[in-house]
Amino acid sequence: MEAIAVKGITKYYDDFKAVDEISFSIAPGTLFGLLGPNGAGKTTTMRMIMNIIVPDRGEIRIMGEKFRESLKDRIGYLPEERGLYPKMKLLDHLQFLGEMKSLSGAEAKRLALQWLERFNLGSWAHKKVQELSKGMQQKVQFIGTIMHAPDLIIMDEPFSGLDPINTKFLKDILLELKKEGKTIILSTHLMDQAEKLCDEICLINRGKVVLKGPLQEIKRRYSHNAVLLEYRGDAAFIQDLPYVESADEYGNYMEIRLKDGVPPAKLFKELANSSLEVSRFEASETSLNDIFIEIVGGEHA
Amino acid sequence: MRKVWKIIKREFKTAVLTKGFIIGTVLGPIIILGFIFGPAYFMSLSSDKPMTFRVVDYSGEIAPEMNKIFSDTLKNGQPRFIFSEIDPQEYEARKKDFQKDVEEGGVDAILVIPADIMKSGQLTYVSKSIGNIDIIRLIRERISNIVNEKRLLAAGMDPSLIKELTQRVKINTVKLVKGKAEKRGFDQEFVTSFVFLMMLYMTILMYGNSILRSVIEEKTSRIIEVLLSSTDSFKLMLGKLLGVGSVGLVQYLIWALMGGIVILGASSLAPAVSQFISISPIIFLYFILFFIIGFFTFSTLYMAVGAMCSDMQDAQSLSAPVTFLIIIPFIVSMSIIKNPSTDMAFVLSLIPFFTPMTMFMRIITVMPPFWQIALSIFTNVLGIVVIMWGVARIYRVGILMYGKRATLPEIVKWLRYR
Repeated sequence: MEAIAVKGITKYYDDFKAVDEISFSIAPGTLFGLLGPNGAGKTTTMRMIMNIIVPDRGEIRIMGEKFRESLKDRIGYLPEERGLYPKMKLLDHLQFLGEMKSLSGAEAKRLALQWLERFNLGSWAHKKVQELSKGMQQKVQFIGTIMHAPDLIIMDEPFSGLDPINTKFLKDILLELKKEGKTIILSTHLMDQAEKLCDEICLINRGKVVLKGPLQEIKRRYSHNAVLLEYRGDAAFIQDLPYVESADEYGNYMEIRLKDGVPPAKLFKELANSSLEVSRFEASETSLNDIFIEIVGGEHA
Repeated sequence: MRKVWKIIKREFKTAVLTKGFIIGTVLGPIIILGFIFGPAYFMSLSSDKPMTFRVVDYSGEIAPEMNKIFSDTLKNGQPRFIFSEIDPQEYEARKKDFQKDVEEGGVDAILVIPADIMKSGQLTYVSKSIGNIDIIRLIRERISNIVNEKRLLAAGMDPSLIKELTQRVKINTVKLVKGKAEKRGFDQEFVTSFVFLMMLYMTILMYGNSILRSVIEEKTSRIIEVLLSSTDSFKLMLGKLLGVGSVGLVQYLIWALMGGIVILGASSLAPAVSQFISISPIIFLYFILFFIIGFFTFSTLYMAVGAMCSDMQDAQSLSAPVTFLIIIPFIVSMSIIKNPSTDMAFVLSLIPFFTPMTMFMRIITVMPPFWQIALSIFTNVLGIVVIMWGVARIYRVGILMYGKRATLPEIVKWLRYR
């Protein structure tokens, strides 16, 4: 049974089709990336999963069930527009958020304290939210999203506005939760983050799915079999090698595309036997960013 | 419903544990009582010192009577007014000196009575401050009386006979409440009604605005969507309404308690004042009931305004129509105090928005038949259901909209969204 199955959901805002026949399904324990440029329909899709917005067409099943209000207790959702009550005390606030997920008051308080300790915010428990730095407030947001041990975690642009320390912090938490078997969906327009974290991705643009599947598979499919070379000497001969598709020469730097199915090691051996002084040889994998730009970039340029 | 309860609890806690609430609840009534008792208290304070006058009487007819007609005494038994007569010739000669006395405060005022006062009916009051209307009114009335008396005598008539013949008719008002005759003046009736109408009006306005502010704060702090991940917008709305509403009820309860103590205390200290503000427990219950109806009607609308705006400035201009919906019934109710039994008063008291204040006004003046009260409650509950249905739809869409103000066509569209 899938953690989430989305079938043909469509949402109009007046005449604007924000989400257009989007379908995907996510197996339990997967870290799933919903990717796309700004305005692609990521937030609308996530809000529809959370039943904050109702789709005009299509069906969403969460853990095999149609949406029920009580399902919200098993989901941790971090929206893109997120905030806290500035005048509430930290512990009271987290307790309130926990209680809103149907935890008992005592249980919510215990978990809040436990998480605050873990995030080194223990001494701030009785301070007001507005006295905290922005980075601390972000940590509190994460605690609020995961403190009730949800089976499904949905985070909309979780990395936006985070400093490097908190980015790493969040990444560690996400990986830990994944290890515990939680299903995680995160949306981002930062491809390098998605590349490092996600098992599967779904790339949407202008409300439509343009690419989806396991990340490794996608990368293999879009791989250009490229080699980056830094050298000193005359490298003109490389262009004439039979298994080289093309080569861009920049004086002492060259981007080479090998023909399909040619292992980069073949070129490596060839160069080792030549008189060329090679200082760097890199069999580059196509990055998600390249794929993203290749698919989406054309229209935005 | 457990989650609604949690929201109510949070709203209640955050509202009650603020300085504003404590100040408003405790200091509010003290300020109101200050307005009622204050002026009388200060009046008695200010007249603790005798006033000194100099009288310059060119006619020679008024001065001899002065001590007789201005014989008031202060609390400590001293005379309230002290006169000294000055010979007109001396006054003419040393006018500047006398005026200097007034300016330096040695003397409060100089009364200059012209020779032809009987004919012209005019005199001059010279003082540093001519703002003391009470004193001037007193002098005018009392000297008029002497002048009139002397004029009548001069015309050969008997002043005491004239006084007897021209005496005005007095009205003693008796209000019938359930067969019991209650002797109360129209003034008392008016003051009681007005005080409670004012309280109803102020609190509905106050709590409406506090809901408005709270919705805007949730929007600007971006917490709404975090909350929506745990519950739906209707429960949020309900929780907020009930939370803030219960704060209002608690405030009333505290006030009623304080009021009870004050009335008990005042009835021994100042019986005249306490009968102005005393009402029966049944009327107090109706007061609470119509506060609740008014609160739900108007606060729900303020909630919609909050959802439509993204900052306080926007909200202030957009909430004006809602505020008018409170002000108009308030003004209408003032005229109902005078005519509580007309057909128009009856019809208005059934219409949502108008009911809370107009119906309460009728209850406090002439208790209408119970079926009318029941009918008005019915129409209003219906009205509140309709309003809440519409506002829930506006709220659901509006709270997720940031950075701009919704237009009317947009609102119509929101009402139709799934």
